[in-house]
Amino acid sequence: MADDLSVRNGQQAAEELIAFGDGADAARPAGITSSYAEGRSSRWQREVIADIHAKAQLGRYQLRGFSTFQRNLPTFDDLVFQPATMTRLPLEGYREQCDTTTVLGDGLGKAEKPITLDIPIYIAAMSFGALSATAKAALGRGARKAGTMTCTGEGGMLEEEREENRTLVYQLTPARYMVDLEHVRRADAIELVVGQGAKPGTGGLLLGMKVSERVARMRSLPQGVDQRSTCRHPDFLGADDMAIKIEELREATDYRVPIFVKMGATRPYYDTAVAAKTGVDVIVLDGMEGGTGASPELLLDHTGVPTLAAIPAARRALDDTGMSGKVKLVAAGGIRSGADVAKALALGADCVMIGTAALMALGCNSPRYIEDYRKLGTEPGACHHCHTGLCPVGVATQDPVLSERVDVEAASERIYRFLTALTMEATLLAKACGKSSVHNLEPEDLRALTLEASAFTGIPLIGADKPFSW
Amino acid sequence: MTAETVEHAGVLEIVAGDRPIREVNQEIRAAVAAGRDVVVERPMSRHNLAVALSGAGSVTFRGSVGYYCGGLSNGGRIVVEGNSGWGTGEGLADGHITVHGNAGMSLGAAMRGGTIHVKGNAGPRCGVAQKAGNIVVEGNVGYSTGFMGHGGRVICLGDAIGSVGDSLWEGSVWVAGEIRTLGVDAKVITPSAEEVAEVESLLSGLGVDAAGCDWKQVVSGQKLWYFEARDAKKWLMI
Repeated sequence: MADDLSVRNGQQAAEELIAFGDGADAARPAGITSSYAEGRSSRWQREVIADIHAKAQLGRYQLRGFSTFQRNLPTFDDLVFQPATMTRLPLEGYREQCDTTTVLGDGLGKAEKPITLDIPIYIAAMSFGALSATAKAALGRGARKAGTMTCTGEGGMLEEEREENRTLVYQLTPARYMVDLEHVRRADAIELVVGQGAKPGTGGLLLGMKVSERVARMRSLPQGVDQRSTCRHPDFLGADDMAIKIEELREATDYRVPIFVKMGATRPYYDTAVAAKTGVDVIVLDGMEGGTGASPELLLDHTGVPTLAAIPAARRALDDTGMSGKVKLVAAGGIRSGADVAKALALGADCVMIGTAALMALGCNSPRYIEDYRKLGTEPGACHHCHTGLCPVGVATQDPVLSERVDVEAASERIYRFLTALTMEATLLAKACGKSSVHNLEPEDLRALTLEASAFTGIPLIGADKPFSW
Repeated sequence: MTAETVEHAGVLEIVAGDRPIREVNQEIRAAVAAGRDVVVERPMSRHNLAVALSGAGSVTFRGSVGYYCGGLSNGGRIVVEGNSGWGTGEGLADGHITVHGNAGMSLGAAMRGGTIHVKGNAGPRCGVAQKAGNIVVEGNVGYSTGFMGHGGRVICLGDAIGSVGDSLWEGSVWVAGEIRTLGVDAKVITPSAEEVAEVESLLSGLGVDAAGCDWKQVVSGQKLWYFEARDAKKWLMI
């Protein structure tokens, strides 16, 4: 008996020594909590549970704006530049010139007036409807100041944006809002939209709160409806038909302006190879990080190819079909900085577009009107509520009071300065790599930090000096 | 004026044949803009004939045309004596197109005004994404006629093959014959006497006798206008 007791006592003593006792979690180093105590599962995360609760109430998929929340996407941060050292000569960062002129639509010789931009960056298609008229005007004015252009997006040609922009790309989306001879002839380029990176394979979406009287009139819609656009064009199906459509557009514009085709990146090699044969001047390839005013959430997070992987595949397709230099490649989707711009150009893009970043320069997610962010259940720096039409800073709204929060002149100045800063960053990197033009940036200037980035970009793995291959 | 182009009794005669389409269209466009009448011989079902016309003149094709004939025009009168291909009169803003034979897919796609009159049948997706204007088909229309139409009318004197008026916004499809199946969120109403009078007057202006027609008007059920859970089944069908 005595032995048994001593064994038990020994066990008790051991338990006391092992246990941390009450307040153990509080005693943990800062930032480390017990996932068990909090009921956190790596599979059933709080947002997963909240998503199930929301869908159980709604009976449909969730909708939102902004861009993908997908974790662990490869990014441009997986690549680093290798500036000139012993084998190459750098250019002086402050004295020597690095050309940024970008020409689109000159390669095939089909368009009499190719587009010449002062910088290799322009503002992506975002419709009047998704954005307020003040935001559209500010983007146009800012782009003009920076010597570049914007694109109308799906909702037709807004009078303010036509006046503010020196150069304007006019979109023909499958819904064909406001597409007629008058508007087509006021465009400096026509873009046939086959898809977009945020939600490839589907059409546009604009929820009723943003279908104001003016938006409805421009789109020939009943005011206040939840507009969903078709995913296929009404009058052509495959690439062979599209080639005929492109000829029609050249006829309608008297062979004056370049024709673009925009696609979401899904099979970038094959899609680019096919698109290049349709007779377009410019291919716009939008990676899955591309933003949107509204989309089924699952499309944002579960469809498409990241921009980083899409660009090299598209460039390879143009090389393989002998179309490099003839058909220009514009890349978009998640471009945030001049480093991203330079890396996109080095990977093979002739030009890049920015959308979400441009909205942020306008004021998106800026720390003003905090109370209005809170009403949406969010805060500056985390807002993704473009789909609600209640944008606290007046960018993604049709509310007349909110829209006035965009001071067109001030916002356009910020767009101009941001575009200037991006260009300066890109040229800084280019000059360090010894390039007198940003278009001379090349894959050889880059190294990959990760095996994955090396494998799908073909960029040598850092330290190994050859691409990872399998 | 090229060797293929001659003037005869005030009418400009153009031979299309295998000449560059740009050259043929430039001649047509200039003549129609000047209010003149043009006859095009040997159109050979070429694509993109008479695209982007403006003005008060007319062009008659002595044969069949390919895709997008009269596309993106905002004026002129076009007569096709044969058949026409896909997207005839697509994006039309104003003007008048008559097709004596049959028209292919997507007749009058996304048109914003004007009139298209087909004496034969029209293919699928007739009046798709139509914004305004009138499309008159004396024969039958193919499946998904009126798909996602925003406004204007498709008027079919024959039968409508299937999926009629699918996902309409505010346009309407008028059918005198049989409606095989209705599209998603489409419903049939009996048009008002006023509207019938308007359609009959339009038809008589085109020389179409529509007396005694039993008109069925297909319009939007408006259940797809809003993202709501009660319509989830409708949404799943799209």
